[in-house]
Amino acid sequence: MPLGPSVVAPQGVQALQDLTVLFGAPLVSGVISHVEGRLQGRRGPRILQPYYDLAKLFRKETVATEESSWVFLAGPVVAFGCYLIVPLLIPVLTTYGLPLGYMGDILGGGFILALAGFSVALAGTESGAPYAQLGGSRAMTFGALIEPTILFVVFAVALITSTDLPYALAATVRSSSSEMVRPGHVLAAIAFFLVVLVDTGRIPVETHSGTLEFGMIDEARTLEHSGAPLALLKWGAAMKQLILYTILINVFVAPWGLAASGSPGAVALAIPALLGKAMALGMIFAVIDNLFAKLRLFKITEFIAAAFLIAVLAVLVFYAGGG
Amino acid sequence: MHAVPSTYAGVADVVAVLVLLTEFAMLRAPLLRSQVKLYAFQSLVVSGLAVYVAASRHINELYALALLSFVLKVVLVPGLVLRLLREADVDLAGSSVLGVASMILIALGVSAFGFFTVGSLQVHSIALPTTALAIAAAVVLVAFVLIILRADVVSQAIGFFSLENGVSVASLVVAAGLPLVVEVAFLFDLLVAVVVFGVIMRVHHGRTKSLSTEELDRLKG
Repeated sequence: MPLGPSVVAPQGVQALQDLTVLFGAPLVSGVISHVEGRLQGRRGPRILQPYYDLAKLFRKETVATEESSWVFLAGPVVAFGCYLIVPLLIPVLTTYGLPLGYMGDILGGGFILALAGFSVALAGTESGAPYAQLGGSRAMTFGALIEPTILFVVFAVALITSTDLPYALAATVRSSSSEMVRPGHVLAAIAFFLVVLVDTGRIPVETHSGTLEFGMIDEARTLEHSGAPLALLKWGAAMKQLILYTILINVFVAPWGLAASGSPGAVALAIPALLGKAMALGMIFAVIDNLFAKLRLFKITEFIAAAFLIAVLAVLVFYAGGG
Repeated sequence: MHAVPSTYAGVADVVAVLVLLTEFAMLRAPLLRSQVKLYAFQSLVVSGLAVYVAASRHINELYALALLSFVLKVVLVPGLVLRLLREADVDLAGSSVLGVASMILIALGVSAFGFFTVGSLQVHSIALPTTALAIAAAVVLVAFVLIILRADVVSQAIGFFSLENGVSVASLVVAAGLPLVVEVAFLFDLLVAVVVFGVIMRVHHGRTKSLSTEELDRLKG
């Protein structure tokens, strides 16, 4: 009988994936807004500010409008639950599939993320307030427009690996460096990068830290929430951001630094590796935030058309002979 | 599941994809000036491809070709067109018949046609990056879309010039050892086209005080 466990049980690693996303997400958001502040010549908020914000919101009372029903309060909880399920499906810490990792493929994860977005939009609409309803309807509209791009990225992934499991693509990308420069893969990664830009509400699409309601999409949905539900929504948004970053990093761009076995050291190393990579990616997004202006609302379709074009080209290049 | 292409084919494919993407960018570029700059960038990429092919296939003449096409297509032609634009000083924003999204979708369909056509030709060899060839065909077709859908003289000239870039990519990947004379003849063709389009731009602007071709639907001026 060995003294300590030399291998972390797969279930343990799986729980750890969830916990990493749960408690790491506000940190990543904090780093991004700090860097953003620095880039704009401000001191920027503290890196740990999102945690203080969440703690403050959880202590505050919850107010609901008179017109709203239980949906208004249930929406944030459902969304939060969805964001807790997705990390089980994607390679967050390990290179090998975990027991529940084969529960769903990339599309499955996408559906769960879509369900989360839907429940937040529904909760916003339920409040009866005009801006929250506007946010919900816009979020659904642009969500529907970006969906074909996501599908074509999944098709490209399926053409590379003959499956659409995120673990399989990550393993393929790791297998040789020439996989990284395949034009089809590069195009799919760029298209997914643009999808992340749209889905996290970053600058060409939306100012994520503004107070001007007319340009808002995702942000406007949560205007009526307060207290603990608002905390769940903010926390969920941070988790969604980290989840999308994780898919981009660990599936498409840089699936290194993951634990190849269940040894405690490797798993413990994988957590700071993931958070470090996510922060590096976040800084790229912060730089983009400062370089570009927000698009007018009706110009966003052009941006989405560009993403769609790149995703379709990825599939076409594969079709044309192995790209 | 496809086999992973060799590094040579991979680089050729990436460059071809870049050329195709700049072609799409030209299609949607609202400013004529940015269209010209995109053309300069596209030519730069093509020259880079020539250098890469020269280095990896040990064809020294291609260095001369790369230098020539750099001087001509990255410096000279864009500089000339930009000067003409500065002199014209009107119609900075190009006109297009359709909205950006529908234009992109049409071009996407056309380039898909190009891909499928070259794919059904069944040309396969180890030395030939079939994908790059298919993309070059798509570049040519999208250049046609650019010429057809953008209703101004500059876009049509740039569309024609970038069509030549697509042909260059195809000739570089298919027949890298093509005699230098033939390649230079292509470039000479381009030079003639520049002169012709330069004259057209001047005359058209002199007559109609605009660069839009929508004025040209009357038989008598």
